[in-house]
Amino acid sequence: MAHVKRFLPGALLVLGALISHGASSEELRGKVELLARGGKGPARGADVRRAVVSFEPVSRQPVRPPAEPFVLATRQKQFVPRVLAVPRGSRVRFPNEDPILHNVFSVSPDNVFDLGLYRKSKGRERTFDKPGLVRVFCNVHQGMVGYLLVLDTPFFTAPAADGSFVLTGLPGGHGKLTVWHEQGEAWTQDVRLPAGPVTARLEVSRAGAPPHLDKRGNPYTSRDSYRDQ
Amino acid sequence: MSDGKLGVWMGALLLAVALPVWAQDPPPDESGVTGEEALEETPGEGGGVDLRFGVEAKAHFRQSDGNRFRVNFPFTPAMLPPGGAAFEETVDEGSHFEVSVLTLFVDAVWSEGLAAHAKIDAIDLYDRNPTSGDKKLDVDEAWIRFGRESDPGLLPARGGAYLKVGKFPKFERQDDRHLESYGLLSTAFNRFEDTGVELGLNLGRHLYLKGSATQGNPLFIRDPNALAGDNGTDDFLGANPSPELKSGIVILYDAEVEDLDTDGDPEIGAGLGLRFGDDAGRNAVDLLVWGYRRTLADTVDLEGTFYGGDLDLLRGPGENDPRFRFPGLSGDDKQEVGANLWVYLGGLTFFGQFVDQEIASLPRTGWEGELAWRFELPLVWAVAGRQLFPSIAPAVRYSRIDNDFRNPQFTPSPSLNWDWEKLDAGVRFAVIEGIDVTVEYAANRFILGSGAEAENDELLSTLRWRM
Repeated sequence: MAHVKRFLPGALLVLGALISHGASSEELRGKVELLARGGKGPARGADVRRAVVSFEPVSRQPVRPPAEPFVLATRQKQFVPRVLAVPRGSRVRFPNEDPILHNVFSVSPDNVFDLGLYRKSKGRERTFDKPGLVRVFCNVHQGMVGYLLVLDTPFFTAPAADGSFVLTGLPGGHGKLTVWHEQGEAWTQDVRLPAGPVTARLEVSRAGAPPHLDKRGNPYTSRDSYRDQ
Repeated sequence: MSDGKLGVWMGALLLAVALPVWAQDPPPDESGVTGEEALEETPGEGGGVDLRFGVEAKAHFRQSDGNRFRVNFPFTPAMLPPGGAAFEETVDEGSHFEVSVLTLFVDAVWSEGLAAHAKIDAIDLYDRNPTSGDKKLDVDEAWIRFGRESDPGLLPARGGAYLKVGKFPKFERQDDRHLESYGLLSTAFNRFEDTGVELGLNLGRHLYLKGSATQGNPLFIRDPNALAGDNGTDDFLGANPSPELKSGIVILYDAEVEDLDTDGDPEIGAGLGLRFGDDAGRNAVDLLVWGYRRTLADTVDLEGTFYGGDLDLLRGPGENDPRFRFPGLSGDDKQEVGANLWVYLGGLTFFGQFVDQEIASLPRTGWEGELAWRFELPLVWAVAGRQLFPSIAPAVRYSRIDNDFRNPQFTPSPSLNWDWEKLDAGVRFAVIEGIDVTVEYAANRFILGSGAEAENDELLSTLRWRM
């Protein structure tokens, strides 16, 4: 259900794009497979539902963000959802649902921001105009990692638990299909629609989120708290 | 001061002036582990000084086993305590609540390449030697640093150098201990700060060098448990002394530097290290080999005791009376070589150290290893926007010292050559940001001159508050 909620705004966007352009009608089905390092069998413990599948047509489609903001919450010292895909120009709200102070920041190129430290509240908003991967962290809790994918296309979705996905309302012709997952390198393939089912195989090359620095570019201070000086 | 000694200190001063120019080269275009730049400028980069103050207090519940061991030293009847026999005894045995230290920290940062730090301890109960007679207010650290220094296991962004001048911890000291107590090695070799200059060179990101010229910590004796013990205090100047805190069961150790003294030969230290890891320091391995050498003084005056440090301690009373001096004692050279290993794997930390020492030809070796695992606890309760019980860190440490020298025929401290091992196990609970509780048990085992085994254990609970 959480995945439905997560991608519902995106689906509505696709629907909006369909209505506004009328001519889109293609569908692309496929499956995402996460493979162990070296491509030897399926990757254990990697959640395929955290992948983002997007299609970027060669003929650029207008991207219209929804009126309501997307939501990336801090809950139980985690970002929820961990992965959020939004179309370029979307607003994202960052509510704090925990009874403790959190900070939300990113130092990802083109999307640098710092929402400061705040208590449990509806949180603060930011508009993301530049496409790209935005790694979102909390400056208080090193273990908190979220991924915001700002996409330059209205066509995206998340795979089901079995890896299957369907993209609908696509314009015919050439385009680039991309599958992103936090634990591997992005997979891309040129696709000409209409097309048959596509299988995207991603090699899981990272156990989890790589270590990161705090917002000042320094190591987090968990070691310092026990410093003997 | 001799010309040679003056030259060493002048050379250090010249380095202090010259190094900042080298240490502040503009950084290359090199990103961190995330491929991203910092969001905010480093404190002090905006110009001016970033001044920060901190305070820390520690309160304890301590339960020390009571043990005592007969001493064969031929004290005169007037020098013996009531009862007519002398012992090495547990310091202040039994159960006690005590506040051991109030600390003020001051940090001043002008830029990434220029910083100063001071740490001033009041009460300082566990670092006093003798326990009852030493200073109760102590400047533990006071230094200024030119250039960037990396903590163990942390890769510097680039090569460079730093120079530290003042009173500072020795570079091979474990700086992130997970227990309140100290192991045998961390008591014997590098518990206390030294005064002088320290130079660090990062030859790229992985290979590094350390060097130091310092005053040298005086050689003295203390109990490896929480309290050092009372030895040579004023109590002993009267007839039939009976110091309340007792002597402790002591080992040789590098004691606190009392006052600035530039007259003696400096202790020269050097280290060569190799480190690998990620930029965030979450996963890292750091190996350091190091050594020190200095000339022992004939004697060193220490606050609160009439016992002299260095050779005076080893020669015993009288003018080189062979009955009281260590039989293998020769020369005045003191040197240590050692190796450190730091391993960080997420919340798992290992620190290991090996030391081989000769004190005026008295050899001993030792090693110590601490394994700790710090992990986050789920968010259940919160107070004032902060999590209650955010983390817990169990830790275990084993240390041992093997003494390869014989005691004098008569000595008031026969434990000095006992082979010794210490096992510390405990857990540190973070209560809320700035407050934690550490509960630990120290099991000391040693082999007496008779070959029999004995022990002297201690339970220590520590409430630490820091802001």
